[in-house]
Amino acid sequence: MNSRDLLLVHIGTVIEEDSLTLGQLCRACDVHADWIISLVEEGIIEPQGEDIRLWRFSGASLVRARIALRIQRDLGVNLAGIALVLDLIEELEGLRAHMKTLGHV
Amino acid sequence: MQYKDYYKIMGLSRDANKDEIKRAYRKLARKYHPDVSKEKDAEAKFKELGEAYEVLKDPEKRAAYDQLGAHWKAGQDFRPPPNWNEGFEFKGGGFTSGDSGAFSDFFEQLFGRAGFSAAERGQYGFHARGQDSHAKIYIDLEDSFHGATRNISLSTPEMTAQGQVQVKHRSLNIKIPKGIKAGQHIRLAGQGSPGAGSGQSGDLFLEIAFNNHPLYRVLETDVYLDLPVAPWEAVLGAKVKVPTPEGIVDLKIPANSRQGSKLRLTGRGLPARVPGDFYVVLQIALPPADTEKAKAIYQKMQQELAFNPRQALGVYQQ
Repeated sequence: MNSRDLLLVHIGTVIEEDSLTLGQLCRACDVHADWIISLVEEGIIEPQGEDIRLWRFSGASLVRARIALRIQRDLGVNLAGIALVLDLIEELEGLRAHMKTLGHV
Repeated sequence: MQYKDYYKIMGLSRDANKDEIKRAYRKLARKYHPDVSKEKDAEAKFKELGEAYEVLKDPEKRAAYDQLGAHWKAGQDFRPPPNWNEGFEFKGGGFTSGDSGAFSDFFEQLFGRAGFSAAERGQYGFHARGQDSHAKIYIDLEDSFHGATRNISLSTPEMTAQGQVQVKHRSLNIKIPKGIKAGQHIRLAGQGSPGAGSGQSGDLFLEIAFNNHPLYRVLETDVYLDLPVAPWEAVLGAKVKVPTPEGIVDLKIPANSRQGSKLRLTGRGLPARVPGDFYVVLQIALPPADTEKAKAIYQKMQQELAFNPRQALGVYQQ
């Protein structure tokens, strides 16, 4: 690393609710579009926009798609099972967050 | 190098059959999968399990491993006997369980290093875009309130020209935009894996998480503070000073406030696109009766106040 790198500050883009295209999400997960489309069909992730060319995904979709990929690969769960697991994980996290606001960490 | 007892890791006897191995893997994988499990060391255990399964599910690798004999103990210093794998032929690669870069030295000594998919691709003569990379970074709550520049360190397994997997460390200075919340991503274009040939580099996705804060708790864009108050402040009302991430504010506590009452300061949560709120949760603190004077005051309250905290339980005092 040279001194220029020490001074260089990277300014990224914040992924808002609707900033990832289908192509970007595929690349970010390193999967084919078919697999992402099957997640949308199963209701595991929900893009904004009617037409597939106008689909825009949120950062939360990215998190869900990557967990789905790992669960499918490691545990051999099918898409319906993945949907259920993700919903339960989210419910659990919601409960944990709620406990946190009550001061039970 | 330490010997690894793959049967013990999977809780199996050495004569376990294929179905038992698969069942044990599935069961333990559900228990230790880092996305699902909150067990301590889940990630390390899951990796160890993946490695054990990689060997035991493959009849060739398992036979070779069994050849080492059953007298080894887990953790024992291990050197493979000379020509130990003579006569065994491994079909290279074939890894299903994620990054082989994560396997132990013990595994690599026995079975060699496996193909590394991302880097392998780079060895062909075509131009391809590099893979996107992902990392989770922890920032302080104050970083989101004020915006900040943070230095982060990343480690990435990479394939060297000699075909060895090496963990490469690098550090980056990152601008943390004001108002970012936990779970949001920052995308850094071109900071992922390098592309093949003249292909572009991939992007780096950073998922934001907050460090635990000694005072505040964060839920989405709302920030919570437990505020200790004296009984008379809660009952009679008071004006008190309250810390917030943006500085000290004056807060009016209404009379007859109760334990756990929430007071909202609108718009004083995370400065996101839609700013969150700041909540003060009242915690009534009891003054200690450690002097004669304090004791006398408690005794006076006992004599002069007809107060039964257990009224709702249907229990009455004599």
